[in-house]
Amino acid sequence: MGRSKERRNLLGLEVFGIILGLVWLAPFYLMIVNAFKTKREIFSGVLGLPEMFTIENFIQAFEELTFLKSLFNSILISTLSIAVIILFSSMAAYALNRNKSKLSGVFFFVFVAAMLIPFQSVMIPLISMFGSVNMLNAPGLIFMYLGFGCSLSIFLYHGALTGIPKALDEAAIIDGANRFQLFWYVIFPLLKPISVTVAILNVIWIWNDYLLPSLVLGESNATIPLKMFYFFGQYTKQWHLALAGLSIAVIPVIIFYFFAQKQIINGVSEGAVK
Amino acid sequence: MSNRSPWFWLFLSPVVLSLLLVVVVPFVYGFIFSFTDWNGLVANSFVGFQNYVQLFQEAEFLNSIWFTVKFAVVTVLLLNAMGLGLALLVTRSIRSNNWLRTIFFMPNLIGGLILGFIWQFIFINVFSDIGNRIGSEALQGWLSTTSTGFWGLVILTAWQMAGYIMIIYIAYLENIPKELIEAAKIDGASSVQRFKNITFPLVAPAFTVSMFLTLSMGFKIYDQNLSLTNGGPFNSTQMVAMEIVRTAFSDNEMAYAQAKAVIFFLIVAVIALTQVFYNKKREVEM
Amino acid sequence: MKKKGAALVSVLFAGVLAGCSFGAGSSSESSEDATTIEIFQGKVEFNDQFEELAEKYEEENPEVDIKITSVGGGSDYAGSLKTKFASGDEPEIFSIAGPTEAANYEEYLADLSDTELADLALEGTLNPVTKDGELHGLPFNQEGYGLIYNKDMFKEAGIDPSEILTYEDLEKAVQTLDSQKDELGIETVFAFPAKEKWVPGNHLSNVYLAPEFNHMVMEAYKAEGVQFERNKEFKRMIDLQNDYSIQPTLSLDYSQQVEQYFSLQEVAIIQQGNWVYPSVEQMDSDFAKEGMGILPIPVDGEEGKLPVGVPNYWAVNNNSDDETIQAAKDFLDWMYTSDVGKDYVLNEFKFIPAYEGYNTDEISDPLSKEIYQYASEDQTTGWVFLGYPGTWGDYVGSNVQKYIDGEMTWDELVEDSKQEWTRMDQ
Repeated sequence: MGRSKERRNLLGLEVFGIILGLVWLAPFYLMIVNAFKTKREIFSGVLGLPEMFTIENFIQAFEELTFLKSLFNSILISTLSIAVIILFSSMAAYALNRNKSKLSGVFFFVFVAAMLIPFQSVMIPLISMFGSVNMLNAPGLIFMYLGFGCSLSIFLYHGALTGIPKALDEAAIIDGANRFQLFWYVIFPLLKPISVTVAILNVIWIWNDYLLPSLVLGESNATIPLKMFYFFGQYTKQWHLALAGLSIAVIPVIIFYFFAQKQIINGVSEGAVK
Repeated sequence: MSNRSPWFWLFLSPVVLSLLLVVVVPFVYGFIFSFTDWNGLVANSFVGFQNYVQLFQEAEFLNSIWFTVKFAVVTVLLLNAMGLGLALLVTRSIRSNNWLRTIFFMPNLIGGLILGFIWQFIFINVFSDIGNRIGSEALQGWLSTTSTGFWGLVILTAWQMAGYIMIIYIAYLENIPKELIEAAKIDGASSVQRFKNITFPLVAPAFTVSMFLTLSMGFKIYDQNLSLTNGGPFNSTQMVAMEIVRTAFSDNEMAYAQAKAVIFFLIVAVIALTQVFYNKKREVEM
Repeated sequence: MKKKGAALVSVLFAGVLAGCSFGAGSSSESSEDATTIEIFQGKVEFNDQFEELAEKYEEENPEVDIKITSVGGGSDYAGSLKTKFASGDEPEIFSIAGPTEAANYEEYLADLSDTELADLALEGTLNPVTKDGELHGLPFNQEGYGLIYNKDMFKEAGIDPSEILTYEDLEKAVQTLDSQKDELGIETVFAFPAKEKWVPGNHLSNVYLAPEFNHMVMEAYKAEGVQFERNKEFKRMIDLQNDYSIQPTLSLDYSQQVEQYFSLQEVAIIQQGNWVYPSVEQMDSDFAKEGMGILPIPVDGEEGKLPVGVPNYWAVNNNSDDETIQAAKDFLDWMYTSDVGKDYVLNEFKFIPAYEGYNTDEISDPLSKEIYQYASEDQTTGWVFLGYPGTWGDYVGSNVQKYIDGEMTWDELVEDSKQEWTRMDQ
């Protein structure tokens, strides 16, 4: 009797879960369905399916967003920033982890404490400083991402490095490797799992970041989030195009998600719990 | 690697340089500038606490703080309830649990700006369409009043972030030994008792983690605010982060905006330090 | 494996270094002797047509290379321009809106008084951008706004628009329309987009403040304070539009006002300008061509006058070498004086020209034609809102929202807005 009751409960939960999942997806459904409608159709109703699926909106949005270019900009800035963050943060964490002096402790504390500072608190002087040396451009932005992203990354690497025995270092040194060779060929490969976590946590943030690039990048280097305002103007709120544009912007992320789902969820859970 | 080793410095220098130039120096500069009449280019004179005096008299700034506090408190409660609920759901042995995890987490990967626009469409167009069909006035004119703007932001944030909090709770729930639950079952504990006496105490640390996480996140929210309500109507749904950006880059009052940014830092820092203190205390107790 | 890793690092570094050049790379592509003119402007609506025209110019003048960047729509033009200058990637030609922006960029503005256009510009259009005998900008075009109405509905309701002069006339017409809502097939008379702060805050407030500043942008710009003498008139116009509008007005935006309610003929009147024409045309081209007329917003003692102004000016960056500055001036002259250029200005850009020498019968849309009529008969009031200090227009718009929401009384609105003017002017 207990068994069948439990099974019935589970079935109820299953149904509830599926309904909830559908509710969760509803915003995406509404976005995509209405992206296929004409402007007139949207004014007359947004719940139903379009009379005729027109891909006109997608073509126009694709062109007006200069999507391939903004996608390229987004990919370039994200990958370069993350490469720089991974390389330099792991190196720094290694240096700090293998040095037990007071100074090293102070550095580590400063890095962690910097996480406390919200972006808005440094934003104004930052933009003004970088502006005065003509560094409000893509390389400047990547450098800023290193500054903002290194704290958490160092923290994560530092934790992982504690688990890598020092004996490894010593063996390599005896074999005649210098410190960088030791780090690059011995230590860095061992950090791969945590590098994946670092990459994921940073890519989610950098890919979607709006405020910082909006202050740094010009129109010609605009990333995808910066382009999203295109359809929301003082004179132009064109939902049919905007929804198509938003759909196009969401698609690369969803594709990425389906390929790297496990790593993403693990990475996020690791980053949050630590 | 000793302090004197050149390798130590070589390994450290790139991040030290970037942190210094990107965070530390601007932070110190900003603090100093908040006591001047700096306009973004030059500071002519020190004005003492004038900016700070002014901001505590500015209704709009105080309103943005109060709005942000309300928002943060409500989202913290809602997000944790939802995150735990979802986590309990998908850790049961139901067939769709992997799919559900995927779906619930999905909104997290998409930027707040994009999600804000999507939900703007939902609150304004979809809600009023549904309202017309079922003849409900309550679904009309969303985001046009302060309270619908507030709840709009709460709903958007809850939908976006609940999956993230769920992941945290899952991590703790999956650490609970199965034998413990089974043993309690055999002892005849009801599911409510099992939750109250076994599950809840064991996921309590997750509550602390995600509470502070959501709290500081709630305070710092910007993109969603910008794309969903853009502060409207009449800047009544403008949160602190947005208020600072506006003051700086629309009104061009740099020193004044920086003073607001310093206050913002103090609030966020207090929250974070409370968490550190609390965690330390708990570790000692355990 | 090890080799691979090292190679990866070097690729990354190369990437970082290569990244350094892609920020500023765009301007140096063309051949050595070509003059590159980068144009940075805030009117996205005519971007495509503008690029076509620029190509025609390049065909005629192969030594000139024109690069156009249009920023607007949702992104903030003023901010982008500031970033552009801050990053050192300065455009040769850029657009500025009125004296407030001209003042911000004063050090960069070349004197344009030796251009042909300086002599051809319609009287008064150059005042806001003239300083110490130097001319700092050339008008894009003229625009005008007022109450755009549905001609057929007025006819059906027996209203003669030419008889609407005073506020009382307008109120009566609105009541007539309202009483015949069902026959006319409309939901209500107005669609008043209070969500858009600029509609009440800049445009509507302007008609009541223009008399106070003698219709001169520069007077508003120089004024240290505002009296708001006609605030009661301002109030009753807001009340009228709001009371007879689709509700809730606080969530009504421009797109709904123009495209949904007015173009689909669900309301009879909207307060907007000739810029709505392409949007209406897109929704219903017959209605756009035949169905719309425009009336002035009634102001006591100023009846029959339409606010017409120059929303944007072309400015030339004086930070370039003389040759480039001359090339930029030549292009602007060509755009508004050559036959090809004139044809584009009228028929493709759909501008109301701000220069002499145009065959105004060719103005393509009826709203622009009517507005041009007002302008040529000198029945206009100024666009003083371009001289409001800082973001004062938005501030008033936001106060109007509070007023509509019941958060603020009218007297509070007036007091608070007056104080804000003085504060922002400092």
